[in-house]
Amino acid sequence: MTVPTRRTVRYGMSIDIDKCNGCGACMLACAVENNIPPVPEAANDRKGITWIRVYKVNNHRAYPARRTVFVPVLCQQCGHDAPCAHVCPQQAVDVDPATGIVGQMPERCLGCRYCMVACPYHARYFNWWDPKWPPGMEKTLNPDVAPRMRGVVEKCSFCHGRRHAAQQKAAAAGRREIDGDDYVPACVEACPTGALRFGDLNDASTEVAQDAQRPESFRLLEKLGTEPKIHYRSRRDWVREIANAPRPDGKEGPRG
Amino acid sequence: MSGGKIAFASGTLLALAGGWLAFPRVLYQTRLQPVDFSHKIHADKAGAKCEDCHAFRDDGTYAGIPTLDKCSGCHAAAMGTSAAEKNFMDQYVTPNREPQWLSYAQQPENVYFSHVSHVKLGRVKCERCHGNEEAGTSLRPYQRDPISGYSRDIWGRPVTRVGLRTEGGMKMDDCVDCHRRQGLEYSCLGCHK
Amino acid sequence: MTATRRNLLKFAGGGAAGALLTPAPWRLITDTALWSENWPGIPRPARGEIRERFTHCTLCPAGCAVRARCVSGQPVSLAGVKPHPLSNGGLCPWGIAGHHLPYHPARLRKGQAQEAMAAAARAIAEGASGEYAAVLDLRPGRTASWTHRRAMAALGNGLYLVPRQPAYSIDLAAARTVVSFGAPLFDGWGTPGNVFGARAHFRLIQIEPVETRTAALADMWLPIRPGTEAAIAAAIAGDLSVADAARLTGIEEEAIGAVWEAAQIGSTVVLAPEPGSPLMSLNERLGALGHTVVARREAPVPDAWKAAAPATEVVAAPDGAIRLLLIDESLPGGYVPWSVIEPKLAANATVIVFSSTAAGYARHAQYTLPAPVYPEAAEDIGPAIDTVAAVFRIAAPLGAPAVPVVNPAEFVAQIAGLPRGDALRERADSIHKTGRGRLLSYRDRMSTLTRELTAEDFWRTLNQGGCWLEEGGQKMAPPGLGAPPAGPAPHGDLPLAVVIVESNRGGLASPLMSKLERESSLRMAANRVVLSPADAQSGGIEDGGRCVLETACGGMDAWATIDPGVPAGVVEVAGGPRMADLCGSSFRARVVRA
Repeated sequence: MTVPTRRTVRYGMSIDIDKCNGCGACMLACAVENNIPPVPEAANDRKGITWIRVYKVNNHRAYPARRTVFVPVLCQQCGHDAPCAHVCPQQAVDVDPATGIVGQMPERCLGCRYCMVACPYHARYFNWWDPKWPPGMEKTLNPDVAPRMRGVVEKCSFCHGRRHAAQQKAAAAGRREIDGDDYVPACVEACPTGALRFGDLNDASTEVAQDAQRPESFRLLEKLGTEPKIHYRSRRDWVREIANAPRPDGKEGPRG
Repeated sequence: MSGGKIAFASGTLLALAGGWLAFPRVLYQTRLQPVDFSHKIHADKAGAKCEDCHAFRDDGTYAGIPTLDKCSGCHAAAMGTSAAEKNFMDQYVTPNREPQWLSYAQQPENVYFSHVSHVKLGRVKCERCHGNEEAGTSLRPYQRDPISGYSRDIWGRPVTRVGLRTEGGMKMDDCVDCHRRQGLEYSCLGCHK
Repeated sequence: MTATRRNLLKFAGGGAAGALLTPAPWRLITDTALWSENWPGIPRPARGEIRERFTHCTLCPAGCAVRARCVSGQPVSLAGVKPHPLSNGGLCPWGIAGHHLPYHPARLRKGQAQEAMAAAARAIAEGASGEYAAVLDLRPGRTASWTHRRAMAALGNGLYLVPRQPAYSIDLAAARTVVSFGAPLFDGWGTPGNVFGARAHFRLIQIEPVETRTAALADMWLPIRPGTEAAIAAAIAGDLSVADAARLTGIEEEAIGAVWEAAQIGSTVVLAPEPGSPLMSLNERLGALGHTVVARREAPVPDAWKAAAPATEVVAAPDGAIRLLLIDESLPGGYVPWSVIEPKLAANATVIVFSSTAAGYARHAQYTLPAPVYPEAAEDIGPAIDTVAAVFRIAAPLGAPAVPVVNPAEFVAQIAGLPRGDALRERADSIHKTGRGRLLSYRDRMSTLTRELTAEDFWRTLNQGGCWLEEGGQKMAPPGLGAPPAGPAPHGDLPLAVVIVESNRGGLASPLMSKLERESSLRMAANRVVLSPADAQSGGIEDGGRCVLETACGGMDAWATIDPGVPAGVVEVAGGPRMADLCGSSFRARVVRA
C-alpha cells in the first residue's frame, strides 16, 4: 500500500529591512525555542551561538551622512546545491525535497567544521562548549528540540520542532496537510515590527511569495548561485548594494 | 599440526565461542519493573484496550506510559487480592509516589516519533511495533545494554538481527524499512529534532 | 604445543581474527557511538502535557499580553497575544525570555524578613514628631501601589514617594506627525506592539544628536547640536526665526522649515525622553492637549481606598525627615538616583529594600528582602505612556515562587496594621460593580460588556487571560505641561555631551541576553562608550582600548569604540540606573585613556 505523500512546499522568508529596528526579539525567541544555552563568559561574537543574528550595517559615511540599518541573517536555506550539504563528509546535512529546508543533523556531525567554511553567510555555529544552564533553568527547555553536545555544528532549521507540532495537531484531526497558521518559526512570531514573514514560496497567494517578486527584493550574495530562500527588501539603493558584497577596491575578483 | 597453528586455531575458536555464545549473555543487565503489572488481567477483567491507558491528548501528543493518577482512578482502593497489587498500593498509591517505569521503547532524545501520525493516519496497530502486550501476564524483564543505555527491545533479541520479527526491533533501520515499503518520503528532519 | 611468545602472539592473532567474525566488535562500535551521544550533563527536556496559559508581562509599564506555552505547568516559551488592542501581539527581547528569571543565578534568595519587620516596627515606634515613614514605589499605578498608599495614610506620618511620573498619556493612533526630541520611540518607548501597529499612520521626525535605532527608522532625522533643543522648539512654536534656529542648532533651514510645516497640519504630538521635560509644553502651543496628549486614566478603585495618601515626588519630600524608608524595587521601573534620596533620610534611618537583585538599592539598605520576580507574582500593571483607555490587567502567576519571597505590599500593609485582604480581588469587584467598560478574553478572543458578566466570571477571566478596558468618552486635556524650555545649560569643563543610544533597564534579565550583548554586536554593553575619531585622538584613546568616562558625579571604567558616525563633542553610552547615577542632571562627560 503506498500512502499519499504531502504536497511539496518550498518554505521561505521575506525580511523587510526598512522595518527592522534591531531589537533582537527574534534572536531571543530563537534561543528559547531551540534550547540554545547562554555561552560562557569567555565567549565573544566569534564563538557565540545565534542561529539568527541581527547585524548592524551602515553606509560607511561619516556623520551626519551616516545611515544605519539592521539586517537579520539566519540560515538562508539554499537550494538543492547548498554548499554545506556538498562538503559534509558525514552526510549530516539533508536538503529535504518536500519542504526545501536544509536540515542539519548534529547527531551525525563529527565537528570538522568544513560546512562552516563553505557557508558564505556565516550562518552555521559550532558548539565549543557543552550546553550549561544555570541550576533550575533547564526546567524551561523546549521538549520539541533536542539539546546538542559540544563538538557539533548547528544551525537554523526553520523551527522544525514547530512543524512537528503542527503535523501532530493535523494528524489528531485526521488531516495530512498542516494548517499554515500553526507553523510559524519563533523569530517570525516574535518580531514586533512585522519585518519577518514566513510561508510557502510555491504558493503564489502567500505574502512571502508576493514579497519575493517585488522590484526592491533581493537575496544575499545571489551571484554565488546558492539560490537562497530568504528574500530581503529595502527601498534604499545602498542597502540593496550591500547584498552583493562589493569589494572595497571596486574590482570583481582578486585578479580584477 | 604445528604448535603455532594450534595456538592460532584455539584462539580463533575461543573468540568465536566467546563472541557468539558468551557475549550476547553478558551484554545485557536485567532489571525488573517497579510493579509486577499484568496486561492480561487488565485487558480481560477490566476490558481495557490499549488507548484507555496509553492515551492521546487533544493536541495529538501521546501520553505514553500512564502516570499514577490514571492507575489511582480505579485502584484508589485494592481491587483484588494479589501480592503484586498490595505492593503497588503500599509503595505507590498510598504515598502518592510515581512508579519509575522502565520504557522498552525509549528512543534517543533527538528522535521525534509521532504516535498519532502512525496510529490515526497510518492506521498502524499497536502490536506492529510493540508486540502482543495484552497477552502478557506480567511485564517482561527490562534488559538494558549498559554501554549504549538502551533496552534490548530496540536492537532486537537476535544479536545479529537475523530472523528478527517485524515487531522485534526499533532501530532507525526498522523505521526506514517500513517507510520505504510504504512508499513514504522521509527526510532526516522528518523524524529527528 | 609449547608456551612460547610466538605461540602467544599466534593465539592472540587467532583470537582477533575470530573475534572479527563474531558480532561482538561490531556491536561494541555501535554501542560506543551511542554512548558518546549520551554525554553526562546534557539535560533532557521534561515531557508532559502542553497547555497554553495567559498572563501579562510585568517587566515594564507596557504590560504586554503574554501567551505562555507550559509543559506540565512550567512555562517553556512566551509569545504575544494577537489580536490585542493594547499590545498588538508584540513582545520585546526581555519579555520573550522572562520565564527564565525565577532561575536567574544572581537572584536574591534569602533575606531577614523577621528582623526587618522588627526593625520597621521599632523605627515607627521611636519616630520623633516631624519624622516620617515612607514607601518609595518605583512602579506606581498598580493595585499594590494603592496598598502602599493606604498603608501610609493609616500610619498617620506616612509618605508615599514616587519617581517623576507623567500625568498624561499619548494617543499615537490620533497622531499624524510625531516630533520626538530623542524619545526612543522604536527602542523601548511605550508599548512596542502599539507603536509598530500605528507606524504606518504617522510621520516621525526624530531630533537628536546621533542616529539611534529610532532615528534610523524615522521619516526624518535632524542631527541637532546637543543641548540646543530649545531653539527648535521655539522655532516650531513660532517664537524664533528658522534662520536663527538653524544657526544655533546646526540643522539646515529647509529641514526646520519642514518640521514647522508638518506641525501646522494638526494632529501633532511632541515627545521627550524624560516625563517632566519642559519640551513637552510645546504640545500646548500646538493644540495637542486633549487630542494627541490626553489625561491619564485609571481603572476605578473601591471607595474605601480613596482616602489613601497622595503621591509625592522624592525631590519634594522634606530633607532629613525620613526615619523608615521602604523601597519597593520588585518591578523594574523608574529610577531615582541615591544622591537624591539620601538627603531625605534622617540620621538613624532604617532602609528596607524589596528586590530580586543585590545590584540596585540593596547596596544602600540595612535589610534587603527577596521579592517575587516575573512570572511568579500576582500583580497588575498600570497604564503605559501610550495607553489611552482605562485598563485593568492582572499578571497571573505562572508558577509558585522558586525561592522564599516576601510580598512588598503585604509587608507594608502589615506594618501599618491594614486588614489582610486580596487587594486585586477587591479592585476587580469594584470595577465590575461600576458596570462600565468591557472585558476581553484572550482564550476565546471574545469581548463582553462588563455589565453582562457575573463578578465570578469577571474575576476568573481576568486571571485566566483577559483585560478590562474602558475606551471612548471625552478625551480630557491633561494638567499643564510646565514652562517652556530655557536655553542650553552651561557646560563647565566637560567637553562631551553624553547621549544615551540604548536603554539597558535595571533589574534581572535572562542570561540569554548575552546573545544580544556579548555573542553578537547588536546591543551596546553597559561598559562601552563610542566616540568620534577627533575626540578619541584628543583623549589619546584607541579603538577597542580601555578608558574612563568621567562625569560631575563620578567615573566609570569602559571600553571605547571609535566610529566616524558619531559627531565630535558627543559620547554615546548605554542607559540604565548606573548611567543615570553618573549623569545626574547634566549629561556632560570627559573620556580619558585608562
